[in-house]
Amino acid sequence: MRWLRFAVGLLLALTLHSLLDSFYPNALAFFNPYVILVIYYSMGGNVLGAIAAGVLAGFVQDAFSNAPFGLHAFSLTVCAYVVASINARLALRGALAFGACLGGAVVVNELVIYVLVNILMKQRIEMFEQALLVKTIFTLLFGMLVYQLLTLFLREEPIAATRSKTAW
Amino acid sequence: MAVPTDVIPRRPTLLFIVVLSLLFFLMSVSSRTRYVGETRTMFERTVMTVFSPVPKFVNWVGGTLQDIHHGYVDMRRAVNENVDLRRKVGSLTSENLKLRQSASDLRRLRSLLAYSEQFDFETSMAQTIMLDTAGRFKSIIIDHGSADGVEVNDVVANANGLVGRVVLTTKDLAKVQLVTDNNCSVGSLVERTRRQGVVRGTGGSLVQMLDIPSLADLQPGDRILTAGIDGIYPKGIPIGAVVRSEPGQSLFKTITVKPAVDFGTIEEVIVIHTRKIPPQVVRYTP
Repeated sequence: MRWLRFAVGLLLALTLHSLLDSFYPNALAFFNPYVILVIYYSMGGNVLGAIAAGVLAGFVQDAFSNAPFGLHAFSLTVCAYVVASINARLALRGALAFGACLGGAVVVNELVIYVLVNILMKQRIEMFEQALLVKTIFTLLFGMLVYQLLTLFLREEPIAATRSKTAW
Repeated sequence: MAVPTDVIPRRPTLLFIVVLSLLFFLMSVSSRTRYVGETRTMFERTVMTVFSPVPKFVNWVGGTLQDIHHGYVDMRRAVNENVDLRRKVGSLTSENLKLRQSASDLRRLRSLLAYSEQFDFETSMAQTIMLDTAGRFKSIIIDHGSADGVEVNDVVANANGLVGRVVLTTKDLAKVQLVTDNNCSVGSLVERTRRQGVVRGTGGSLVQMLDIPSLADLQPGDRILTAGIDGIYPKGIPIGAVVRSEPGQSLFKTITVKPAVDFGTIEEVIVIHTRKIPPQVVRYTP
């Protein structure tokens, strides 16, 4: 069930990605739906599942963007691992915790990408700080909205549905 | 579905590092191949192929929605355009009718003017304002009266021929007795043979020509004109055409004439101010 939800979420993220690419090509510079999905899943505290979710979501994002294949998979896996590791120990719950994790994950994600692209690949990312700020704010807003909607319609805290029965 | 406890690795950090290393390797390969012409690795292509239905579907939905939207917008535009065009067509049709009417009026007035120039007499144009052509006593009212110089016994005609004569005038109006009236008689002649006679109204739509001898040459279709011998009607105004000529019971033929004027459609007329015969001369006329 958790994986089914993840698959549906991945398809929705890709749909959103395609939709925005088709009609508002610059919109993905402001928020990242894949981070929301991965963090939502990683809040369950299942590190293995989080790594798999990060890799899968990253591959899909890479496949449909012009980034070197594996770049987003790498950064999302790092985010997923960090969030899942924290949640495996602290079992954070509630919208505020989700928001904090999501905000932190967006920053980490962008920093990882910055390091990989700017330092390792010797390519320059223009206006990184501004893009980071804008992306963090909008991803956070959109992520909180999604979280509230899921809580409302699924009638349970969505993170609980993704929480592994085996604790780390 | 929960992951079985016995298959969960004890050291996820190690797995994490391995995964990151593989991803880094994949990324390196990908970024290397991007500059040698091959922009996509096999793995990337596979992921794209697997998930390609999603963007295709989104694109199809978006395209369809755009088509529907554009179709709707185009339809709305076409509807508005259609309404505007219909309005314009209505306006132009109305204008066209007015112009046709004006052209028709102009033609009619020109022919009347040309007709009036045939006479030596003074003429004036008048407009018919009432028609009483259905009853036994046929008359029309015109919008010119004594103030315009119209007098009793002035002759009224239009472009087709004789209409009648003025029998009553007021300051602004005049009553015209039509040639079809039962009490109207007009000295007339056959255009082809110059045989003279009298045309008299019957109260119907046709008139009769009297005093034509049985042996006179007269055929249906012959044009009948005013003869100018009765002191009222000037010579040469068409009255009508013979439609039937029968030998009468006495010495004269029974001749039926169809008036040249369609009295149901009279609009403008010419009033011919004829020279009147002095009453004392009329008194001594046999």
